[in-house]
Amino acid sequence: MVGISLARIFKAALQNFWRNIWLSVATAAIMVITLLMISFLYFANIFGGQVLHSIQEKVDLSVTFKEDVQEQYIQAVANELETRQDVEKVTVITSDQALESFKSRHTDDPLIEESLGELENNPLPASIFILATEPRFYENIAKQLESDKYTPFIDSVNYEGSSTVIDRLIALIASVKNVGTVITIVFALLAVLIMFNTVRLAIYSFREEIDIMRLVGASRWFIQGPFIIESVIVSLFAVIISTAILYPVLNTIAPHLQRFFFDAQSSPFNIYDYAVTHWARVIGLQVGAAVGLAIISSMIAIRRYLRD
Amino acid sequence: MITFTKVSKSYTPNSAALDDVTLNIPTGDFVSVVGQSGAGKSTLLKILSAEERPTAGNVVIDGWDITRIKKWQVPHLRRQIGVVFQDFKLLPKRTVFENVAFAMEVGGAIPKEIKNTVPHILKLVNLVNKADEYPTKLSGGEKQRVAIARALAYKPQILLADEPTGNLDALHSWDIVQLLIKINKLGTTVLLATHNDDIVNALKKRVVTLNGGKVVSDQQGGTYKL
Ligand SMILES: Nc1ncnc2c1ncn2[C@@H]1O[C@H](COP(=O)(O)OP(=O)(O)O)[C@@H](O)[C@H]1O
Ligand SMILES: [Mg+2]
Repeated sequence: MVGISLARIFKAALQNFWRNIWLSVATAAIMVITLLMISFLYFANIFGGQVLHSIQEKVDLSVTFKEDVQEQYIQAVANELETRQDVEKVTVITSDQALESFKSRHTDDPLIEESLGELENNPLPASIFILATEPRFYENIAKQLESDKYTPFIDSVNYEGSSTVIDRLIALIASVKNVGTVITIVFALLAVLIMFNTVRLAIYSFREEIDIMRLVGASRWFIQGPFIIESVIVSLFAVIISTAILYPVLNTIAPHLQRFFFDAQSSPFNIYDYAVTHWARVIGLQVGAAVGLAIISSMIAIRRYLRD
Repeated sequence: MITFTKVSKSYTPNSAALDDVTLNIPTGDFVSVVGQSGAGKSTLLKILSAEERPTAGNVVIDGWDITRIKKWQVPHLRRQIGVVFQDFKLLPKRTVFENVAFAMEVGGAIPKEIKNTVPHILKLVNLVNKADEYPTKLSGGEKQRVAIARALAYKPQILLADEPTGNLDALHSWDIVQLLIKINKLGTTVLLATHNDDIVNALKKRVVTLNGGKVVSDQQGGTYKL
């Protein structure tokens, strides 16, 4: 009995859907735009995070020591820095290592090789590279290194000035998020409004049936179910369309984004690949948003126009 | 058995549509509820189908106190009570068969059951040959018979008929009344609200007369007198 009733509720929902096909399509269209906005926000968030991360990885703080500073001392400074909460990683480059890496970078340059051979002492200073857990911490770390305790041994504290780039990027991501959120909310409200009206019209066109259903003892779910399910059908329809738009678009823009934001990385972040591997999350987000909006709007319409 | 105990109903604070009504209606009874327009006949029937709640008093159907029935219980009550109105309330886009089947679908009947039962009911109301017609093609009397068939679809214990002959000529009216008698003979309790004196007088059944919401007479084999 429950099964047959459920089947009838679904049948009635589909009938509503077809009876108002153009309204259903218009509702679905607005829902598609809303879902695309939500997806855009989602991907902008993910992508921004990745870009930020890749830039942060490039930034660091380096300290160059004076020529005759002992290796033990350098190691001690490194150890001291490592105990700090805001420091993620400390790398020590001894002057020998610096020379090695310099040489290996210039193996094809006979002129440089020659001039290096003429030197008695290693001219390259020892240094340490510090990676902070977050870019905003560099300033504090630098301050510690500039204190009197270290000045006799340290030649210079080099702080790559990319912090302004990062700050700007963070601000940009934040404003994209804000504008995106506002637009998304506007479209979500529009979707609710239109869906609400669709359900209201459906209720209106079924008012005779509804009266008679009540008369002959239809349960609340039997009367209201079709309207809720109809709006859920419309919203799932919208999910299919928005997914069908979303993936090709991501596929098209992914290589451009990759080239523009992640130059010369061994494994640059690809937004399309991300969307493919995280398909369940991407579709789940849309289904959740679409069905949620559908249920909210149809419930409001039912509460207002199907009072018993 | 239906019992009304001191039932009153006020739609507005200073007037009473029903005023201290006490009634016992045994199962299988045929009761005509008569009275002028505004006497409270429809209100009495609506309280039975829980379309309206009494302001005071109690209404019990077969031991079930429906006075303060919960919203979710109303459908259960309605599936035990068939209702018929003056304006038929048929679905114009559905055939006679489908109109009757609709009530069974609502009640959760399976298609096979519907296919078997509907022809029986249509036979009872003598509409087998009109099964595939749409209501617009039917006469008033036929429409009312479809409405009665729909009310019978889930075999109710009680049939409430509110002015079922109000839109019909004398001949068709009599037709409908004969049908109600037939249904009553099959075991259904029938409450007929009407102000058609010819019918009431010819019925020679129990007559409850309302005036200004009060029961002013209640007689077996009664007649219509105001
Ligand atoms: N929904 C309502 N709101 C306010 N007053 C009503 C309503 N329904 C009926 N009444 C009033 O209650 C009284 C009884 O009405 P009703 O039961 O319909 O009488 P009848 O069916 O005998 O004509 C009338 O005075 C009518 O105006
Ligand atoms: Mg009336």
